[in-house]
Amino acid sequence: MDFDHQSLVLFAKSWGLLYLMGFFLCVVLYAFWPSNRKRFDRAKNSILDRDDRP
Amino acid sequence: MISKLTYAERETAFAIALATLVGGLALGIAGRNDVLGWQGVIVVVFAIAVLRPLMSSYYEPPVAEDRKVTYYDDPTKVGIVLAMVWAVFGMFMGVWVASQLAWPELAFDGAWSSFGRLRPTHTTGVIFGFGGNALIATSFHVVQRTSRARLAGQISPWFVLFGYNLFCVLAVSGYLMGITQSKEYAEAEWYADLWLVIVWVTYFILYIGTIARRKEPHIYVANWYFMAFILVVAVLHIVNNLALPIAWGQAKSYTIWPGVQDAMVQWWYGHNAVAFFLTAGFLGMLYYYLPVRAQRPIFSYRLSILSFWGITFFYMWAGSHHLHYTALPHWVQTLGMTFSVMLLVPSWASAGNALLTLNGAWHRVRDDATLRFMMAAAVFYGLSTFEGSFMAIRPVNSLSHYTDWTVGHVHAGALGWVALITFGSIYTLVPALWKRERMYSATLVEVHFWLAIAGTLVYVFAMWNSGVIQGLMWRTYTGEGTLAYSFVDSLVAMYPYYIARAFGGLLFLVGVLVGCYNIWMTIASAPLAASEKTDAPLLPIAVPGE
Amino acid sequence: MAELLHRKLERSAVGFVIAIIAAASVGGIVEIAPLFTIDETVESAPDMRVYTPLELAGRNIYVREGCYACHSQMIRTLRDEVERYGPYSLAVESQYDRPMLWGSKRTGPDLARVGGKYSDFWHVAHLINPRDVVPESNMPAYRWLATTILRTDDLPKHLAAQQALGVPYTQEMIQNAARDAYGQATPGSDFTDGVTERYGEATQISAFDGVTTQVTEMDALVAYLQVLGRLTDAAHGNAAEATSASAPAP
Ligand code: HEC
Ligand code: HEM
Ligand code: HEM
Repeated sequence: MDFDHQSLVLFAKSWGLLYLMGFFLCVVLYAFWPSNRKRFDRAKNSILDRDDRP
Repeated sequence: MISKLTYAERETAFAIALATLVGGLALGIAGRNDVLGWQGVIVVVFAIAVLRPLMSSYYEPPVAEDRKVTYYDDPTKVGIVLAMVWAVFGMFMGVWVASQLAWPELAFDGAWSSFGRLRPTHTTGVIFGFGGNALIATSFHVVQRTSRARLAGQISPWFVLFGYNLFCVLAVSGYLMGITQSKEYAEAEWYADLWLVIVWVTYFILYIGTIARRKEPHIYVANWYFMAFILVVAVLHIVNNLALPIAWGQAKSYTIWPGVQDAMVQWWYGHNAVAFFLTAGFLGMLYYYLPVRAQRPIFSYRLSILSFWGITFFYMWAGSHHLHYTALPHWVQTLGMTFSVMLLVPSWASAGNALLTLNGAWHRVRDDATLRFMMAAAVFYGLSTFEGSFMAIRPVNSLSHYTDWTVGHVHAGALGWVALITFGSIYTLVPALWKRERMYSATLVEVHFWLAIAGTLVYVFAMWNSGVIQGLMWRTYTGEGTLAYSFVDSLVAMYPYYIARAFGGLLFLVGVLVGCYNIWMTIASAPLAASEKTDAPLLPIAVPGE
Repeated sequence: MAELLHRKLERSAVGFVIAIIAAASVGGIVEIAPLFTIDETVESAPDMRVYTPLELAGRNIYVREGCYACHSQMIRTLRDEVERYGPYSLAVESQYDRPMLWGSKRTGPDLARVGGKYSDFWHVAHLINPRDVVPESNMPAYRWLATTILRTDDLPKHLAAQQALGVPYTQEMIQNAARDAYGQATPGSDFTDGVTERYGEATQISAFDGVTTQVTEMDALVAYLQVLGRLTDAAHGNAAEATSASAPAP
């Protein structure tokens, strides 16, 4: 490895932040995507039904 | 339990146990000139303890069971019992260790019983023994229910459970003999660490395999947390424990990480062990058992997704807040501090989500101590994460670091969050799994709840006081600009709080013993007739099933 | 797009696993990767020496007994700490430490610069029963150390393992490890000269526990305590704010 410390730190600081934002955006999109609503509603109610078999 | 296995499966189990026995023998022989030999003996004894019941019912005719329509709950049952056993052991050690700080004679001049050796038996006993078994047991239960699929293995769940407990036993017995890496929360030596890798990979494959079998289109969020827990702990464990043994026949090894790098790796590990062992896994419990017990769906599923990714993402950055003002580069400290403060957002999102789920069911919280356990856990989770983010701010940390304040924070999380959510989940699970109508005694659950709350509060307030006093005394100057107090002055000021803490811990331990008795009596009571209708609305899943 | 991706990821459990790794690994990589090049930022300390075999054995006893549970070895860059314990700790001072023993809890005082603060005799008395010396103490008594013979036959293996990991032990040091351990704790014996030859004139040769007929674990532990903070002078040089607190002479 011939990266020096300074450039590694710089890389970490800049791309780390960008990655963070991008990732956050994807998650928000996913969570609020309209067509996902039904799936989530089903999921959160599915654990409450009482049928205890696979 | 063995009767439910086919002959082929019994053979596999036998082979694995025998291989473990041989491995133990090899370890014992290789380490005959070292304490390592005794660890080999422990492996052999453990393997025999597994082999004996297996052999004695080896030829019993298999019970016909339609695996397509039943869940596999025996490992969960055993896991819960083991978790309670470890809880008693680990917290007894906690009380003992706490008492030693108040009355040092309680070490009785033994080598094995001195503070430095007992303290890791407490931390390992409660975190890995109690917490780990509870996580394994509940994750097996939750993944099957939320996927509507049976566990993807008949032997591997047992291997995971018993293999994991073997690791814990090796670790704890090792500390007493003086085998330790002195890496906090990763004290176990190389051979035990290697063993845990095998166990953990099996756990991971089993879990993924079960999810792959699921009949639900969507993976329920509790499983996300369990998966993150399994996966990240594997990575953390392997990286932090990379070490070179001085010889195959000796327990001692040297970590490959020197000095500052070791510090950074260690606290990257230490902090994320908190995040993914003591937080993510238990959030998995919260997201399943709390809605089930309250009979209400989680308040906002979206929020749970956002907080999941928030926690997964942010925690990894925060480890360096354990190293403020040290020889670690300044920018790393700042990064750790920033992300620790940001962590508050997803943490409170989880806590808030849990509490809002209960909105409209407060009368249940009032009447049902089990649900109240979980409610209180969510409150303490919010509290300890707020405290954590606060302590991660450098100037605050300059006061709190090295003091009992940290210990207070730890136990606000450990007692208030980890232990309470576990007890709530266990009280929900036990009647359901053993097909009893309810716990043996609701009053005893109530008693346990109040003992736990009282114990936690006494403990945490004692440590907050002592921590702040200690921190202030260390930095107080006289008018002439010299330090006002010697170290021993600050030590003397701690004694009342050490006594109070030991008392608080004792209350908590008594609560656990009450819980054990209650669970025992529940298991011993008559099972519910299969068709009997239950009229107890608070028992969500103890219903006619298989 | 993102949504589609996630749905795909989620449908196969494996994809989900990859997503978790992607989310979780970055923080670790960003924080830790630069530390692999940290040598460039660590102060240099040409005078830094390695632990002698006896000191290393003592360090391993410190590890074994879990002294780190009550004692830190990391003086922070805060005025009161510098005045109480001495110049703040530098990264270079723990460059040979495996594991590092910075600690996280000060039930007892910091030990990063305890070397030379007390006499050997004080340490022995203190370890045998702390309350004989400091009545208010809650530190455990470590009586058995004084009667347990130190295991020295495997010391070459310890040094060899450290060498394999990059600690600059020489072949000669490894071969003589057991003899050097003995020599350091028995002044005037045939093996003493070899120790100063290999580890420098400043190495302390002493009958640490006061008995020269045998080398005990007490010898090793006290030898280690006495060298803490004294492997290099780097910290004393550049810490101008460390006024009153340079380590007193032994
Ligand atoms: C229960 C916590 C505890 C443990 C474990 C412990 N100590 Fe201590 N230690 C203390 C306390 C408290 C003091 C301050 C009072 C005193 O001097 O006894 C102290 C003081 C010391 C001092 C004197 C420091 C000074 O600057 O005055 C030394 C040296 C020391 N300990 C070494 C050790 C070693 C070596 C071990 C492990 C074998 C150890 N300690 C384990 C609590 C502990
Ligand atoms: C009966 C209840 C308990 C008592 C009396 C107790 C007592 C103690 C004591 C005395 C210490 C050492 C503190 C020190 O060095 O100053 C400690 C440390 C610790 N305990 Fe507990 N404990 C209890 C329960 C728990 C539980 C349930 C958990 C986790 C689930 C836990 C996790 C820890 C951890 C992580 C530490 C290390 C803290 C640090 O290094 O800062 N404890 N405990
Ligand atoms: C937002 C969440 C959290 C943040 C930002 C946080 C932050 C911190 C900080 C700053 C410290 C002190 C480090 C030091 O000065 O040495 C600490 C210690 C600790 N925290 Fe947290 N904390 C959080 C949540 C939790 C939770 C929920 C637990 C659960 C049990 C927990 C367990 C611990 C433990 C065990 C330690 C002690 C480590 C040690 O020194 O041995 N934390 N945390």
